[in-house]
Order: sequence, then C-alpha cells, then structure tokens
Amino acid sequence: MSDMAGKRSEYDSVVRKVADALIRASSSFRVDQIEAYRRVIASEENPSARWALETLLENAKAAAERRSPLCDDTGIPHLILEAGQGRSLEGWLFAAMQEGVALGLRELPGRPMAVAGDDRARVDQSEGMFEDPSEVEPAPIMVLPADGDTLRLHVLMQGGGPEIRANTYRVFHKNSAEAVVDEIVSWAVESVTLLGCTPSPLAIGIGRSHFEASSLMLQAMALGDFGKQSPLEKDITDRVNESGIGPLGLGGSHSVLATFLKVGPQRASGVRIVCMRPCCCMEPRVGRAEF
Amino acid sequence: MVEIRTPIKSEVVADLRVGDKISIFGKIYTGRDMALPKLVRLLGDGSAEAMGIELDGSVIFHTAVSPAGVGPTSSNKAEIEGSMPALSAAGVRLHLGKGSLRQDTVEALAKHGSIYVVIPPVTALLEGKTLSRRVVLFGEDGMEAMYELEVAGYPAIVAAAHGESIYR
Repeated sequence: MSDMAGKRSEYDSVVRKVADALIRASSSFRVDQIEAYRRVIASEENPSARWALETLLENAKAAAERRSPLCDDTGIPHLILEAGQGRSLEGWLFAAMQEGVALGLRELPGRPMAVAGDDRARVDQSEGMFEDPSEVEPAPIMVLPADGDTLRLHVLMQGGGPEIRANTYRVFHKNSAEAVVDEIVSWAVESVTLLGCTPSPLAIGIGRSHFEASSLMLQAMALGDFGKQSPLEKDITDRVNESGIGPLGLGGSHSVLATFLKVGPQRASGVRIVCMRPCCCMEPRVGRAEF
Repeated sequence: MVEIRTPIKSEVVADLRVGDKISIFGKIYTGRDMALPKLVRLLGDGSAEAMGIELDGSVIFHTAVSPAGVGPTSSNKAEIEGSMPALSAAGVRLHLGKGSLRQDTVEALAKHGSIYVVIPPVTALLEGKTLSRRVVLFGEDGMEAMYELEVAGYPAIVAAAHGESIYR
C-alpha cells in the first residue's frame, strides 16, 4: 500500500469510528447508567416517579435495539480529544473528526437544527434552518494531554434543555468549601425544578475563569461514572434529592441520579468560578473512539 | 391507564385528576417556540379555522418534528407557556409537554376546561407509536412547523388539572 493509500485508509477509519461513537452516544445508555436507573427504580416509593423511571429505561432499550435517537433533541456535538506524549496530531485528524461527526449525524439521523443566515438571522432565526442534519457543526474541539500512546476521542451530544438551565458564575467562597456547595445546591434545586427531564446527573466544573469552569464541567461529563461517586459528589446529590422534585418533576426521592464534579487549579482569591449544568435524564450521552 | 381519544370531550377532561396515567390515541397537533405564538396571532384574526385547523377538543404536543423523531420540549419556555391560555380558550383540551408551569397558567387552563399532561422524553418508544405525520401550518419553520400526527398510545401523566398541579 502506498503512503497516500495508507493515509486515506487511516483517514476513513477515523471518520467511521467517530460516526459510530456519535451514534452510540445518541442511541444507548452506558452500563453504569443502566445500573444507576435500576438502583433508583428499586428504591423509589412514589408510583408516578417509578413509572417515569421505568418508561425512560424502556426507551433506552428501544433506542439501542433500533440504533435510533434516545431523544429527538439529538444535541450539539462536543468533542474532547485526549492525546498521549507518544502521539502526534496532524491537521487531517481534525478534518476526519469533523467528517465523522457529519456522517454520524446523517446516519443517526440527527435533528436538522442548524440555523441558516448571516449573524443577525442566525440570532433571530428569521431565515429558517438547514434541512441536512450534518449542517449541525461541532463546538470547538478540546484537546487534553494524556499518558503514553493514548489517542482517545469523547463525543458528547449536548441537549438544549440543560443549556437553558446551566449557569456559569462567580461564587465567593468565604474560605469555606461548604459555602460553594451551598450555592451549587441552590442553583441545582432551582434549575432541576424547571428542567422537566429528570432525574438529572449534575455536571460541575470549578475553575479560575468562565472558560476553564465550562471546560472542567464538560470533562466531568465525559469522564464521570455513575458507580464512582466521591463523598463531595454524593453530598451534592443527596442534598438536591431532599428537594423531592423527582423524575420528570412528578415528585419522589430521585431528582438527581449522580453528580460529576471536577475541581481544577484555583486562583489565590476570594472567588471561585463555578459552572453547573443540570444534565437531562438521557445524559451524559458520550461515545468514545480510540485511534 | 386511561385511554384518551381525540377529539376529546369536555366530560372526559372533567374526570381526569392530577397523577392519572393516560394513553393518547388519534390525531394530535404539534407546536413549540416558533409555531404557537404564530398560531395565537392567527386565532386573533380568525384565520386558523380557514387554514384547516380544528382546535376544539384537540391536543397540542410541545415538540419539534424531524427525522430524529418527536419528544417534549420544556413547556415553561415563554413562547409556549404564554400561548397556552389563548389556545385553551380556543378549544385545546390537552397540552402535552414537560416541566413545571406557573400557578397562573394552571389556573388559566382550569378556567377554560383544559389540562396539562407530561409525556416522558421517550423518542425511541414514541417512534413506534406514531402512525403518520403531515405539516399543517408554518412549513417554512422546518422542524418547528405545526404538524398533525396520528398516534397510538402515547404514554403520559396528568400534571395540572382543575387548578391543581403536581408541581409545588
């Protein structure tokens, strides 16, 4: 095989893997997510809440069988690439990832929700939408350092409901982590009440800038595990669950399914920047690909 | 599980209570952020019926319709919740969506004999229960157009009826 043919084959392989990761993210629950649902169904005493949880799990089974979307809001693709020291990143890889996203959105199919027009028209939606789901462009790609020869992509599909309710804002910590947690719990109770699509996994990043806090929140979503909860994460989950909002807001003891928290480096200051995203009951929709 | 068929009679709505699980059959409309305020404006100038829309006894599902399927969007978005009282006055008996509503909206629905019903965001399940779909208004808005769907057994739960709400 010539160098050019080899490069072409490598390119096509990345495109296929990214498309498959996007479809997996959009159409199936992860094993730890299914187990989390089973745990809360077993312990939920509110019959309306239990009905909602069972229906959501039944939907996940149907979506996996059909390889079709869990939710009609198939979301905005967000990509996180972990790159080890032994790997080099060339421009073609990013082009192949973009093409893989477009292929995945066409095959899924994704919801055709890319807004057409110039700056003003894209803001006020006055010129309508593109019909092709692959016009939904991914958000800027995040690249993180990793060990060894790792080259791993996480494809996250971010729904619109949680974006309406998410918050990135400064919190005065008053030399107390509890003060920051209190604020997070307060935001979470307010936003989870309005979200509708609960139980919500909460994704939280705490950093030095709005960009960093949002990036940490996204990493927490990509890397979090429903079965591995730190004491701080468990504390936030338990406190929000005391609200009794419940699945789909119908009441019950499971408003939040888990908390995924990532605390980054901090600035010597009285302020922490906190990003809190109340994810919907289908999320985190994450698919992974190894290159 | 109570089976509900469209068009819905007022006495059927009168018998439903918060927490009742229902299963919806028949033709229903869709509408969300873009379509519902436009529909309310059409009602204002009396042109909705002329366009073939029959709202008396109807269901409006707050959803986009696309090749990805259907699923509820947040009914408490200003464009949607703000349209619900006028649509109830025009005969919509059942508003199908998700998320909490304000108490003044709950009371406005009760005044007009309408209820609010929550449907889980179960797109893959709904796909198997959606028999047909066609655009009826605002086709220029793509996935946000108003559609008529024929459905067989959409699962839902009554969240606000007769001034009472499941939300605190």
